[in-house]
Amino acid sequence: MPLFLRPFFLAAGLLVAAGASAQSSPAPAPTEEPVVVPQVQRRDVKLPRLPSRDFELGAFAGSYSVQGFEAVAVTGLRAGYHITEDFFVEAAVGHAKVNDETFRKIFAGTVLASDRLSYYNVSLGYNVMPGEVFFGRSVAKASAVYLIGGVGSTQFNDRRHQTLNFGAGIRLFLRDWAALQVDMRDHIFSDDLLGARRRNNNLEFSGGLTFFF
Amino acid sequence: MSRLVALIVCWMWLALQAPAANAAEDSARVQVADPYIELHTGPGRGYPVFHVSERGEWIAITLRRTTWYQVRTDKGVEGWVNQRQLVATLNEAGERVAIAGPGGDDYLNRRGDFGGGIGRFKGEPSTKLFGSYRLSDTLSLEGATGQVQGVFSGSSFWHVGLGVQPWSDRRLSPHFGIGLGKFRNFPNQSLVDAIPVNVKMAQASLGLRYHLGARFIARLDFSLYTAFLGDSRSAEYRAVNAGIGFFF
Repeated sequence: MPLFLRPFFLAAGLLVAAGASAQSSPAPAPTEEPVVVPQVQRRDVKLPRLPSRDFELGAFAGSYSVQGFEAVAVTGLRAGYHITEDFFVEAAVGHAKVNDETFRKIFAGTVLASDRLSYYNVSLGYNVMPGEVFFGRSVAKASAVYLIGGVGSTQFNDRRHQTLNFGAGIRLFLRDWAALQVDMRDHIFSDDLLGARRRNNNLEFSGGLTFFF
Repeated sequence: MSRLVALIVCWMWLALQAPAANAAEDSARVQVADPYIELHTGPGRGYPVFHVSERGEWIAITLRRTTWYQVRTDKGVEGWVNQRQLVATLNEAGERVAIAGPGGDDYLNRRGDFGGGIGRFKGEPSTKLFGSYRLSDTLSLEGATGQVQGVFSGSSFWHVGLGVQPWSDRRLSPHFGIGLGKFRNFPNQSLVDAIPVNVKMAQASLGLRYHLGARFIARLDFSLYTAFLGDSRSAEYRAVNAGIGFFF
């Protein structure tokens, strides 16, 4: 019998039984109360506090493309917290040195007040494709593709710019406590470096190691 | 920076070596009470089931990640089981073991929240990060930092203060907050002779919070910022902000 039909059959059975008992003589009322009423004290047993691995800490390095300039090396740190199996939050800081060599070759001067570029952001991620990655015939490692987006700030040319970021990445668990993470991110902010307001799409491609604790 | 990264990677490596050694002592032995439990290869429903343990089998729970528990059966099989299949497990005395989740599922017991959002600050687009820590049922310590990108200048600010949620037991809870902080305004680089501003400011906000399931909150805030530009001069800015965050 399918599970969802069970209540209906049960109700039908009860109705038939009720009809039958109404026709026959009323059932004798219980005359005797149980002498001893058992008093069961239920203890709520709690597990010992299990170690958990909801937090992550990691370092990454990669390439960060500065719109209008060259793509440069970027290094950074990230910290994350896994709220549920699907969602996680991640805070990241990154640092790069802007290279305006091409710009200087053409214009014989620089527009940059500082070659320092740094950013921080807080993002919400969603694991879209949890699954496994196979190495050969006998090794399978858990992995997850995620979509991520958030808000933050980019310091570029001595000014802070509010920055939105969107991207995707893949996390490959080497162990329960360590994962390889490859991430592609678009950092979007606007500035007026060349005299007019323009929107920057700075693309970042990075890889790193993440540790869970 | 890269040296710092290397140092932190080394530290994390060392920090993670230690707990692996004594992981066996922290495990809890329980008996399966559900008809069967499914062992997945990873902590998530997308990872395949590779083993099934029946009712009555003994398992050791060694680790938790979100709502998934890593278990080891008596036969030595290791896998991840969802909390739902472990709520009815028994201990050695045959008593029911209440396996609790990561905590924070219940918004009534929340300790604080953290999140970010986007909005408008005096008509200009803005972003904001916020966090709060609950001191009592209705009172909380709050902090926020934000940035505004205007046509002629960019601003950044931070403030800390107190927040009140008079009906904090409601899922949809109104919220009122006041705070003090700093307000900075940098003119765009293409403007000549503009002066950057770096002053103290006060803030008051009125908003709504909605506690969604699965530990998330959505919030909508209307704020009034007063920047004390000089001894006798101040400026007021109005802002609205919509954001999402999580509570813990």
